[in-house]
Amino acid sequence: MYRFLARRREPPPIGPAGDDAELLAAVAAGRTEALRLLHQRHAPWIRGRLARRCADPDTVDDAIQDTFVAVWRGAHRYRAGEGEVAAWIWPIAIRRLISTLRRTGPAPPATPYDEARLVTESAEDAVLVGVEHGDLGTAVARLSPELRAAIQATVLDGLTVKEAARLLGIPEGTVKTRVMRAKARLRGYLA
Amino acid sequence: MTWHPPRDLVERYARGRLDPVLTMSVESHLARCPACRAAVPYEEEWLTASWERIEDLVDRPRPRLATRLLCRFGVPEHVAVFLAATPALARGWLVAMAGVLGFAVAAARLSAQDGPGAADALIPFLVAAPLLPLAGIAAAYGRHVDPAYESQAATPLAGWRALLLRALAVLCCAVALTGAATPLLPGPPGLAAAWLLPALALTAAALALSTRFAPPVSVAALAAAWSGAVAAGPLFAGDLLLAFSPGAQALYALAVPALLALVYLRRARLDPGETR
Repeated sequence: MYRFLARRREPPPIGPAGDDAELLAAVAAGRTEALRLLHQRHAPWIRGRLARRCADPDTVDDAIQDTFVAVWRGAHRYRAGEGEVAAWIWPIAIRRLISTLRRTGPAPPATPYDEARLVTESAEDAVLVGVEHGDLGTAVARLSPELRAAIQATVLDGLTVKEAARLLGIPEGTVKTRVMRAKARLRGYLA
Repeated sequence: MTWHPPRDLVERYARGRLDPVLTMSVESHLARCPACRAAVPYEEEWLTASWERIEDLVDRPRPRLATRLLCRFGVPEHVAVFLAATPALARGWLVAMAGVLGFAVAAARLSAQDGPGAADALIPFLVAAPLLPLAGIAAAYGRHVDPAYESQAATPLAGWRALLLRALAVLCCAVALTGAATPLLPGPPGLAAAWLLPALALTAAALALSTRFAPPVSVAALAAAWSGAVAAGPLFAGDLLLAFSPGAQALYALAVPALLALVYLRRARLDPGETR
């Protein structure tokens, strides 16, 4: 009986090789070293993805900080059956970004898409678009930046209209009309 | 997964050098591929700095339940922390308060009888109830009761603000607890609530006296005076409930604003280190 209890109390070993779900379980048990590993593993891509939605690096860093504090407090809510840990963290991150933006004021314009420095689209890139999206990729490329941003926020990031409005710094009604127009255009391109 | 975007594409994505469609494409791949997520480049210093900020927040002890509740109701965080640390609101105090109320209610119920003497059973409760916030105030703030008093006294929140804040918190708790016990009492409901004005008046008087004497001394004096006043009713006027009669209640109601005005005028005297 005692040995059973002792074994239960002994924290499971975690290391850089541990899988995300195990790390998150250790975070739920209050172990900061597990959170550190998760941060090391996930902060870089979250930063990259948030930076595509907000050009201010300080805001992105604040959002990342809030995200991992939220992960620390909410790790017990993760269920292994719900899918990957990365897919669990991302909605937290994008919503933290939105609340950071609400605190600091409207979103700075997203990183201007620099045509001059852009490497010409290689055959490989074209294949990638084909693999991931097929004709949809070309159709999305033909959308205007505003319509694309609206689609990205509501469809790819899975935000509500309200959240998308806050992220893009435009009224909710505008988000709705842009999403409708973008969908109509895409339907037209793909027809 | 059989296909992965080339490394340089992921790097260009991370630097924001990809066109929007490729960006979406890489993102949807990253969402599903741990290996490519690990390939997203980052600076070591950035990661360390980012972690240090998080560690700083995560290592902090979680605020107590009372603090979090107060914050939820819009109380500024520093005030909430200060109120939650009131010695007189510690669990032991609350349990003691509930115990006193429980005994008083039990005594009232057990000795309750019909007829003209019905009100007499309430006397223990009515005498004890106003003393509860009073005792709490004696233990709310000061070098004798608060282990953090010395360091507290050096903060901007010290002094009359601190004492009044805590007195208010103690009063609210005591009134809420006593108020919850009141409907359990036998006897006329009006009389069962007769403790409220004396409690307020005694609290205000304790604060007013604290501008002159140390709070425990003021409270002890007032507790003695209150017991004396209640005892004076049957001894001199032959009326057990004289201290709770409508006339006395009017007196308490008049005393409360007058005493509070006095406290406000002399509030500087409540500061620590001030000669009383």
